[in-house]
Amino acid sequence: MPVCYHSPQRARSHHRRPPPRHQAPAGFWLLRLRLPGCDCSLLIPRRALAVNLMLILCLLLTAVASLALGEVRLTPADVWRALSGAGPALDQLVVRELRLHRVLAGIATGAAFALAGCLLQTLARNRLATPGIIGIDNAATAFAVASVVGTGIALAPSAMALVGAATAAALAFGLAGSSGTRGYRFIIAGVGIGAIAGALTQFMLSQVAIDDANAAFPWTVGSLNARQPQATVLLAAALLPGLLLALRLSRALQLVQVSDAVSIGLGINLIRVRRQTLALSVVLTGLAVAVAGPVGLVALLGPEVARTLCRHRSVPLLASALSGALIMLLADLAGRLLMAPLEIPVGIVTALIGSPYLLWMLLNPSFRSQP
Amino acid sequence: MSRRDTRPLPVLLLAAGAVLVAICVTSLLLGAGEIGPLDALQVLLGGGSAEAAFVVTELRLPRTLIGLTVGVALGAAGALMQTLARNPLAEPGLLGVSAGSSFAVTLALLAGASAATLTVHVAQLGALIGCLLVLAAARIQGVGNDPIRLVLAGATLTGLLMSLMSLLLMLDQRSADEIRFWIIGSLAGRDPATLYAVLPSLLLALVLVLLIARPLAALALGERVAQGLGHHPGRVRLLAVMAVALLVGAATAVAGPIIFVGLVVPFIARALAGPDIRRTLWLCLPLGPVLLIAADILARLLVAPAELPLGVLTALVGAPVLLLLIRGRRLPTL
Repeated sequence: MPVCYHSPQRARSHHRRPPPRHQAPAGFWLLRLRLPGCDCSLLIPRRALAVNLMLILCLLLTAVASLALGEVRLTPADVWRALSGAGPALDQLVVRELRLHRVLAGIATGAAFALAGCLLQTLARNRLATPGIIGIDNAATAFAVASVVGTGIALAPSAMALVGAATAAALAFGLAGSSGTRGYRFIIAGVGIGAIAGALTQFMLSQVAIDDANAAFPWTVGSLNARQPQATVLLAAALLPGLLLALRLSRALQLVQVSDAVSIGLGINLIRVRRQTLALSVVLTGLAVAVAGPVGLVALLGPEVARTLCRHRSVPLLASALSGALIMLLADLAGRLLMAPLEIPVGIVTALIGSPYLLWMLLNPSFRSQP
Repeated sequence: MSRRDTRPLPVLLLAAGAVLVAICVTSLLLGAGEIGPLDALQVLLGGGSAEAAFVVTELRLPRTLIGLTVGVALGAAGALMQTLARNPLAEPGLLGVSAGSSFAVTLALLAGASAATLTVHVAQLGALIGCLLVLAAARIQGVGNDPIRLVLAGATLTGLLMSLMSLLLMLDQRSADEIRFWIIGSLAGRDPATLYAVLPSLLLALVLVLLIARPLAALALGERVAQGLGHHPGRVRLLAVMAVALLVGAATAVAGPIIFVGLVVPFIARALAGPDIRRTLWLCLPLGPVLLIAADILARLLVAPAELPLGVLTALVGAPVLLLLIRGRRLPTL
């Protein structure tokens, strides 16, 4: 039992000048709202705010660059004119019909992957526990391919991808047994599931005609080229409420990442928080895979970037989503430009950037798995 | 000492050998085509139609021989690798050795090579580099005694090399067409000429394995113990790495990358004969081809008249074994 000794003098001075009651801690802004009958205040971490604003700015710049660059090169002014419905018909076609959909799909999938990754990492208290590494991506791909090549299971690819993601998550958790999300066992179980799912995808592709297999290839390595409009709409429809739910969970998650006992003691319904987090992460991953294929490393890179930038020990959910979207757009842009007229699928670009980083993480002697 | 440690090795070897012969004959008898088991049996007994004789001797026999060779190589390589890294999850395919080998072959093809003998040596060189990388990683503080981190690093390396390969193949359509069917591991449609090209290096590797089996068993007890017993751990490790590289490189050059065989075969061998490498290594030699040829027969029959890629079947068998290995109460150690 810690005992605090106060000298009478200090106690008196303390008594004379009480500390101001509503003062923000260092690094925060205090936002107070005084309405009749309701007096609420909000702490805003300054650094996180600055980081998020900066990420949004970068995202806008990259989006404009993606709209402007390519086979047809436009100036930003041309892009603006085409977007607002003026300018030559060709520009309008290129920007509004071709590139805008792609940019929006890139932002949505990047944000969904990274948000899902950040949620799962926090839940498992392990930076390696991203949906891509524990096989959710591969399983979603296998199921979606099953619906595309027509194995008699006729559901929309998005729905099938969701089923696949849920199956893989359930299997990974089930096989990890009593150790739950703790430790590496859960991750190796995921690696095994991912290997099986990858083999099944290969098998299904080997059964269809060579042209269909070639058409499906870019999508199976992850590409924004073969996206389907309905899948993108579904993803966008899930992303907004998903982001809101994630932000609502973020306070609870901040405690969950410390310890179970502390969070239960502070009145958090741990089981419900876990269930919601896992479900959200599985849904986002499944829907994103249905759009862009397994671009799983974005789920690792996005939260890492966000954590490095934010530095604060909270869970950077919004920053993760934004940096995921930024990484996805940049990778897609690089893939389109580097070897034009050939297009490198975005999955390969992210693998070339993300794998060396992951290797460095794993082989670093001072590696800590806790986020 | 449990019961499996006292089972006499010759009996186990004889039993495994008998199963191997049976599997080989089955492989000759069964197929996806029109030639049924009875027709093939007639050919084996010296009769049969010309068509059946062609199918059996020209298609199924080379395939079975390739399965035999590749199975021996992968089984022995898996057992060596696991003892070397002191990690039951260490498998050449999982750790990126096969991927290094296929990457080297892709590079050679892009540079314009096509001769079978060259491919073999390039594949072995790639496997050697992959092996050295794995061993270097295993010696890093914190990674070596954590089997799972090593496996994850291997899986990441494999992913990286595969992406690089896809990128290179996009640049060169001709090589892509040449390599597309090789890159998915399979025993079907392989050139028997490659088989003859790899035989010398395979024999060399098997002699190496014979020489280092005893020192390896000492090394499995720890570096100090091995030194105390008069072995040179550094030299033994180097020889073992070279043997693994020769074996995996040869297997990859013939059949393409096949993962999980090197994980499953030593696992079964340990379950039958206990953890002593001097016993499991011998048992791995017949068990490797048994598993591989059995998987190949299934690959032919399951979706006849089409054919499954062999890699799919080995993954379907291997991934559950991986899960079984980590399912135990303690993390696995060797």
